Amino acid sequence: MKECGKKNFLNILMNKPILFLLFIIFSLQVSVEEGQVNFDNDAYPFTSEIKESLFYSLLNELRCPKCQSSNLAGSNSPISNDLKREVYELVVEGKSSKQIKDHLVDRYGNFIIYNPPIEPATYALWFGPFILILLSALVIILVRKRII
Amino acid sequence: MKKIIDALPLVVFASLIIVLFSFLSDKDDQLETALIDSSFPDFNLGSLSDESRLLTKRDIIKLPALINVWATWCIACRVEHPFLMKLKEESRLTIYGLNYKDNKFKALELLERDGNPFEFSIYDFEGRLAIDLGVYGAPETFFIDKNGLIRERHVGVIDERVWEEKFSKYLNE
Repeated sequence: MKECGKKNFLNILMNKPILFLLFIIFSLQVSVEEGQVNFDNDAYPFTSEIKESLFYSLLNELRCPKCQSSNLAGSNSPISNDLKREVYELVVEGKSSKQIKDHLVDRYGNFIIYNPPIEPATYALWFGPFILILLSALVIILVRKRII
Repeated sequence: MKKIIDALPLVVFASLIIVLFSFLSDKDDQLETALIDSSFPDFNLGSLSDESRLLTKRDIIKLPALINVWATWCIACRVEHPFLMKLKEESRLTIYGLNYKDNKFKALELLERDGNPFEFSIYDFEGRLAIDLGVYGAPETFFIDKNGLIRERHVGVIDERVWEEKFSKYLNE
């Protein structure tokens, strides 16, 4: 019975592209929210909520150097715990988001931030996808017009 | 004209394959360091052999020098240990150790047993100087030139080949 329900659900999803799209979008939403909870508040006490939210947003934006596909929030390796402590101390000192990111980029390079600046070395990263979309669109248009 | 256009997808695909393959064989997988040509960061940490002796940047006086990040929990560090011993014996370079997040007694025991290539080792239990150096893990090795500037960084085991390729040129400057 359960099996059958699963199959039906998948069938409906497959037959209705809009539903499928919504399903994907909402799944993404859930995983993003999951990334932001699960903090142990006692480990990093704050006196102000603004600083606390700055701290947690930085943990989500900064990358763990050891486990390169994870952010600091999602990693428990010794180096990320050291970096969390570093970020914590800088936030408590009253440093701004930009100052803290610069502080870490000065030591670890752009690698440490998940949102790299737009500069010649990252042009391909930022603009590559759009160029690919334009190229594909061009190909589709050409094929449709039967120019090719 | 039509033939050229027909061949286009194949050409694009082929060039993509070539480009991606060239990344595969790219041996330079070293992580970037933001510290090249900047001076060694300030620090204030105890010595491994005597924690009451406080070390600062001013204690790194015998230049040029290597700073080697090591720990007893780091197996690769044991692999490079004999090479560091050899460098100490055979070159005019000074090697300073940065003992990274380690058990002090185990560290001292290892140096006692396998030999001590280091002028001294900075004891960085909390990894504070390591963060200022942008250290990812152990082993890592930095070359400090005669003016006290960081000139090169190597992540991983340092051996004869790495020494020749990356470091020896700075010694002969």
